[in-house]
Amino acid sequence: MTFPEHLWLIPALPLLAALVGAFTPRAQRKISSAAALLAMAASFGVACAALSSALAQPAAHQVSNFTWMAVGQFNLQFGFLLDPLGAFMAVMVTFVGFLIFLFSTGYMRDDENYAKFFCYLSLFAAAMLGLLVSNSLLLTFLCWEIVGLASYLLIGFWFHKPEAAAAAKKAFITTRVGDLGFLLGLLWLDSALHTQLFYNNGVGFLETAALDYLAVALPCGLLVSSAIGLLLFCGAVGKSGQFPLHVWLPDAMEGPTPVSALIHAATMVAAGVFLMARIFPLLSPDALTVVATIGAITALLGAVIAVTQNDIKRVLAFSTVSQLGYMMLAIGVGCPEAAIFHLLTHAFFKALLFLGAGSVIFAAHHEQDMRFMGGLAPRMKITFATFAIGMMALAGVPFLFSGFWSKEAILHGAHAWPTSPLPFYIGLVAVVLTAFYMTRLMANVFFGAPRSHAAEDAKENSWVMTLPLALLAVCAVLLGFLGTPAWPWLQAQLTGTEISSAPDFAKIFEGPGLLATSIVLVALGLGAGWAVYGFQKRATASEPDPLEKKFPRAWAALEHRLYFDELYAATVFRLNNALAFVADALDRWVIDQAVCFVGKLGEFLGFINKDIDEQGLNAGFDATAGKIRDTAGAYSSAQTGEAHGYLRVLALGFVALVILVAVLSC
Amino acid sequence: MNAYYSELFSFHLPEVILTGGALLVLAADLLLGKFSSEPVRRALAALLGMLAMGFAAEALSPYLRGDTSALGQLCLLGLSGLTLLLIAGTSRLRHPAEHVALTLFATVGFSLMVTANNLLLVFLAFELSSITLYILAGFDKSSPASAEAALKYFLYGSVAAAFLLFGFSLLYGLTGEIELAELGAKLSVLPASPLLVIAWIMILAGFGYKAAAAPFHLWAPDAYQGAPAPSAALIAAGSKLAGMLLLVRLFAEIGFSPLGPALQTALALLIAASLLLGNVAALVQSNFRRLLAYSAIGHAGIVLLMIGIAPADPQMAFGDVLYYLLTYGLASVGAFGVAAVLEANDARGQKLSDFAGLWQRSPFLTICLLVFILSLAGVPPLAGFFAKFNAFYDVLGSLDSAALTSSPFFWLVLLAIAMSAVALYYYLQVLKQAFIAPAEETRPLRIALPATTALLFAAAGIVLLGIFPEHFLRLLF
Repeated sequence: MTFPEHLWLIPALPLLAALVGAFTPRAQRKISSAAALLAMAASFGVACAALSSALAQPAAHQVSNFTWMAVGQFNLQFGFLLDPLGAFMAVMVTFVGFLIFLFSTGYMRDDENYAKFFCYLSLFAAAMLGLLVSNSLLLTFLCWEIVGLASYLLIGFWFHKPEAAAAAKKAFITTRVGDLGFLLGLLWLDSALHTQLFYNNGVGFLETAALDYLAVALPCGLLVSSAIGLLLFCGAVGKSGQFPLHVWLPDAMEGPTPVSALIHAATMVAAGVFLMARIFPLLSPDALTVVATIGAITALLGAVIAVTQNDIKRVLAFSTVSQLGYMMLAIGVGCPEAAIFHLLTHAFFKALLFLGAGSVIFAAHHEQDMRFMGGLAPRMKITFATFAIGMMALAGVPFLFSGFWSKEAILHGAHAWPTSPLPFYIGLVAVVLTAFYMTRLMANVFFGAPRSHAAEDAKENSWVMTLPLALLAVCAVLLGFLGTPAWPWLQAQLTGTEISSAPDFAKIFEGPGLLATSIVLVALGLGAGWAVYGFQKRATASEPDPLEKKFPRAWAALEHRLYFDELYAATVFRLNNALAFVADALDRWVIDQAVCFVGKLGEFLGFINKDIDEQGLNAGFDATAGKIRDTAGAYSSAQTGEAHGYLRVLALGFVALVILVAVLSC
Repeated sequence: MNAYYSELFSFHLPEVILTGGALLVLAADLLLGKFSSEPVRRALAALLGMLAMGFAAEALSPYLRGDTSALGQLCLLGLSGLTLLLIAGTSRLRHPAEHVALTLFATVGFSLMVTANNLLLVFLAFELSSITLYILAGFDKSSPASAEAALKYFLYGSVAAAFLLFGFSLLYGLTGEIELAELGAKLSVLPASPLLVIAWIMILAGFGYKAAAAPFHLWAPDAYQGAPAPSAALIAAGSKLAGMLLLVRLFAEIGFSPLGPALQTALALLIAASLLLGNVAALVQSNFRRLLAYSAIGHAGIVLLMIGIAPADPQMAFGDVLYYLLTYGLASVGAFGVAAVLEANDARGQKLSDFAGLWQRSPFLTICLLVFILSLAGVPPLAGFFAKFNAFYDVLGSLDSAALTSSPFFWLVLLAIAMSAVALYYYLQVLKQAFIAPAEETRPLRIALPATTALLFAAAGIVLLGIFPEHFLRLLF
């Protein structure tokens, strides 16, 4: 029952490792990576123990709260929360994190800032894990911001590359836009309820009493709880790369590939989805409609753009955007457990894909453009096999792969949504597109003939890089069986419902032919992809894409990511620059002048004051101080140093006191 | 009989350990001293002394919770331990073993003063600590100033002790009791009489000497100036803490009755005289140690202020005095330590101008000095501020709020606060020399490891007691 009291260990261990990393000299850089790996392994152990403790009572929210500071009436409480949602996430983050850390020891082998890299990674892990076990929205926000900082540091890790520095800045600023909403929601919540605790034995803000209290309609018809929920959703939109703040995520691929795998595929970008799942009770149907809409748009947008990208990591990045859209869609249609299921499976197979891409990039001497690859399958057998598993999981190849089951869960939820059928249809379209662009990627990277010297020279990497791939591939397959319709164990744990112990296979085929539809659609996507890219493989790096020949204008638009960056440059940046100009002018001509005037006035008053002070007061003080010093001097000369004089004073003092007391008392 | 003695032994285990330690120090030096050089002998003696202190502290540890006098003993051990470190780190005097052993004997006296509950034992402990301190004050046989300090201290001290003894014997004569608790019970039913007045004033004079409260303070400047630095530190820190804790207990056990208001007025006079005289006279001192002596007289005024509330709330007064004098003691030992380091390097360090350019010579030493001096001056967030704040707060809290202005203690608190402002002037004079005044001597200072340790402990103690006072105060209240 007391396990939540130990939850702080989970984030504290990586934090300690970050501290060690920060003080590791360059020459002993192994200390930094060893500390990071050890801390992650230990955190994984604690997280597993936490999970088993949480699963003992899946419906309960075990909390351990403490007062962080109390100032007068104001009492700020922090706390840790243990429930299956957070515990599953913590196990996933520590496990995937550990594998990615291990992969990084190989990938970053030649980097001179190796120790610093692991320090940042540990800092990131600490903040991410803190976010997962937090029971306070404020603590969540603090961790959320540290996660953002770590992401900034890691994207810009190769800061000598101008693109990396720019991408880091872009990621930081874009997510800040969303965080502003988060902060406003947090403040509103605190002013309304005076608590930021999620659960606190009936008085947390996600519990019935508070929700009833917040169920007041605003003038515009929205409930207060929904308005707060939507403000918090702004934060999630920024962090999880949802439309319209998705622009930073593809650029974030300028960071080292393990960072992309850990932060921008598996964990950090999932924080937004996690947050929405955490505050799900706060959201009313109105707010959920907004979430579903944004999710559906993002899912489609990401998938469409991914078709046209040539950088292997950018394809995966847009695929991540699209999949995160799926998860948001699932939350919007009221199936947070399906969203978390997809989040978990996606974390494994997307980390696998990114690390696979990293393995390819590392082998091909940091070549990232697919047009210059080709023919890698026979050269890198393990990478190819594991990558193929990840690709099939992402594409949703039926039955054996985890992505199929989690995507299926989301489509079921979307189909059952009463408000509108549109998200369901958009989801179906995205299924086809996903299968299509992944087939394109496979064909371009692994098949055909090598189209550059780098690709010709590629060799399989050492075990520290392939072992994580293999382990992740196993998980990418097995994890799906935790949530099949036949035996939805994971969903049951997350919702805290009972589940029969034996699987019921008949349930798989229930429903209005959904399963068959999605299998057909996946097959369609794979087939179309192979038809376009498989039969006639790209021969040289410079030849245009087959689709580009057919639809040159649409292709160009998509390749430029639908001109979102340009749009923002033309609108938001312009507006910002104009505002900055106005602010600057105001500051320079109005405020500065006013300040100068006040300053001059103060100077003038000071001048008068000084005169009064010097002539009037100071002379008086000086006189007094002089008197005191004179007294002191006079007394000091009375201390002659003669011993019998001292004793005389002693006797005199005694006699004087006796007389005084005698007079007073008798 | 056997059981009785063994019990006595276990009650006084810390004192027994300290005495044994002192004898061991002497014996070890006698056996090994011939074969080793002076520094080795000093290090060995100090090490054995520290070990004895450590074991004594260990013997105390079971009583720490719930027994505030044990905490007082522990604080005394800590202050004496710092003094031992100063002996090891800065002293060049001959006969180091005797130096250490005498410090241990003095500590036995302090420890007994805090625990004695019998007039005879009180006096014996008082004398044990005093006599060892006379010897320690004159321990530098090469310096006439040291001899003069010891002689004046001795003359004054022995007369004061005679007063105290006379006072005690009058009390005994009036009541026929020497156990403090029974003495208090008998006194409370006795009518006021001239003999009682004389007895009490004699006792006040005796303790006034121990605390260096005006007008019984005259020995202090000379003794502080002439005594070797570790001895002066012991006189300033340990001796004062022990004496004042004893006075609190005496007042708490016996009470003022039936002379209550009259004695309070006498005490108020002592307080006012100490506050005024100490702080004002310190303004013109050009000698660092005399400055510390006068500032000590000013601090004695504040301590007596807290003791004034002892009959009303002994527990609180004991805690306040202990916290105040512990922080004061740490700062004093530290300040004397800084002076001692200077003297060990330059053969001078008495004058304020000797501190000129200290910042260039040793930033570490200067930062330590800053902590000590600012704590003495009572600048937050150092412990000195909170000790003073705590004292004033509790004294005002114990007064009748309806008739606040009619109580002399209210006005004394105001005087003490005003005098704190005056005191800032002379304290900052020291820092001005250390930080701003140009250096005459630019040689970097060499600080021996034990001295560094002592300064570091004292400074850290002051900072920690200032920032986290509740951890210490929780043990007290």
